[in-house]
Amino acid sequence: MGRVPTDADQHPVFYAGRFFDEVADAGLLGDHTVLSDWDVLPSQLSAALERASVLVVLDLFSFPFESLTGDLRDVPLVLSLPAGFDAGFLTTVFGRAAFARLGFFDRVAAADAGVWGKLRRRYGWTERQRIEIEDDRPENAAAEISAALEAESALLASFGEGDYEANRYWSERGDALAGDAPDRAICSVNHSLRFNKAIHRIQAAVLRPQFAAARGTQPEDVPFDVLEVGAGIGRWAAGFDPASTRFTGVDISAGMVKAARANFPECRFDRLGAESILPYGDESFDLAFSVTVMHHNPTPTKRALISEMWRVTRPGGRLMFLEDFVSGGWSTMSTVYPMSVLRFVELLVEATAGQVVLEHVESVRYPHDSFTRGGLLSVSKLGVAKTW
Amino acid sequence: MPENDFYTPTDMDLLRMENELLAFEVRFLKARSGGPSEIAGSPISLSRMTHLEEAETDLKLLLRRIKSSPLGPVAGTNRNFRTLNDRYLKRSEEALSMSPPQRIAYLEGAERDLVLLLGRLARGPLGVMFRRRKSFRTLQERYL
Repeated sequence: MGRVPTDADQHPVFYAGRFFDEVADAGLLGDHTVLSDWDVLPSQLSAALERASVLVVLDLFSFPFESLTGDLRDVPLVLSLPAGFDAGFLTTVFGRAAFARLGFFDRVAAADAGVWGKLRRRYGWTERQRIEIEDDRPENAAAEISAALEAESALLASFGEGDYEANRYWSERGDALAGDAPDRAICSVNHSLRFNKAIHRIQAAVLRPQFAAARGTQPEDVPFDVLEVGAGIGRWAAGFDPASTRFTGVDISAGMVKAARANFPECRFDRLGAESILPYGDESFDLAFSVTVMHHNPTPTKRALISEMWRVTRPGGRLMFLEDFVSGGWSTMSTVYPMSVLRFVELLVEATAGQVVLEHVESVRYPHDSFTRGGLLSVSKLGVAKTW
Repeated sequence: MPENDFYTPTDMDLLRMENELLAFEVRFLKARSGGPSEIAGSPISLSRMTHLEEAETDLKLLLRRIKSSPLGPVAGTNRNFRTLNDRYLKRSEEALSMSPPQRIAYLEGAERDLVLLLGRLARGPLGVMFRRRKSFRTLQERYL
């Protein structure tokens, strides 16, 4: 396995643009770099962002967003909204270039709650993506953002102690993280935010076409019922249009469920009990999926969850599993129960009494790995609907 | 692997698992792009085919190992061994050009023959010696 990037390798980069002199003297905390508008010429941008844990853009008007290509797409962004402009103007100027490219791991620093609220609704951002600042002048915004990032890295300094027992571990870890790390995937919390964003991008590239395929030709006015098992703080809910989708998530951590509800008030999130029984009726969903959940659980829990996911999915609906099927380097601290893809398929067949048809298989290689670790399995449920 | 216990993978396991994943994906893509209907669209048949092909490979390796060992000349006098040798080593190329139903029958035969051969070897006078070898025990665990 290659080197997994951690926050220790990287530091925040502040793009001050035309305000370089003011921001350089603002007394930013910790290790950091401040860039002027000369430092982001296309030939220099890649080197300037090589070790960026996060890119804070303080001067939106002069930053070349179109140059964020290749690996630079994975640098998490914090956009500081310029003062004195309304949401309509900001959308016109920055909508396509900047706002539309923001994802779950990017954030917006905003002093004006009204402007933030309008943009949040327009682009589907979560409340937790806002860094609330008091003064939106670049030098003061930089200082406030710097303090927020520094406080966040201190909270994450020590995590993941003790022996592993799946239910207890994920429940306690989830509760603790729900408040401290609002924008990281729970199983990657000890890795850098940039790593989290890169993983998410790769997973999204695999999942989104399959989500669309699962929806198929269902008319837009018929709600598409989606269930995510192990939803965490709901990062995949952002990938569905709330106007045409009823998204439901379950998680074993009460803290995560609470955070997910705050993030996506239009979606439903419930707590999953230790016995792994989904609190929904038979044939309630068109799609049930999990992302890096099964491989953290022992075989009996995997079997129970698959069986339950099959039960709550409508005939013709899809079940999807994006999991790790290759694993090594086990230790007493390991949180992974390795299971090969064939063994998982056997389990899938066993747990569903063979009432599934394979729709899609795709291997997934993450950027820090020297081998292919992940795989997406998509199956559709056979049978005739019991309820009409 | 006990169901509730941690399994400790070695590097070989990691390679095997990765190979399995990639082979499974390739098999799916082949099936989707118009391969034989017997193996298209069903996770059961896909995983079964992969298992059968692994059994055929294991049988070939086992036969080659026996043939090149000091026991080879003795084994060569056995008619059953000669049949297996002829079927899976000398004429294995023919299996690649078989129609899908024929190939499935051939692979299922290979699996049956492997199970029989392992059983004979384990019960025979040299069974104790075979069971001392880790690779033999692995085959036993996998197929018996």
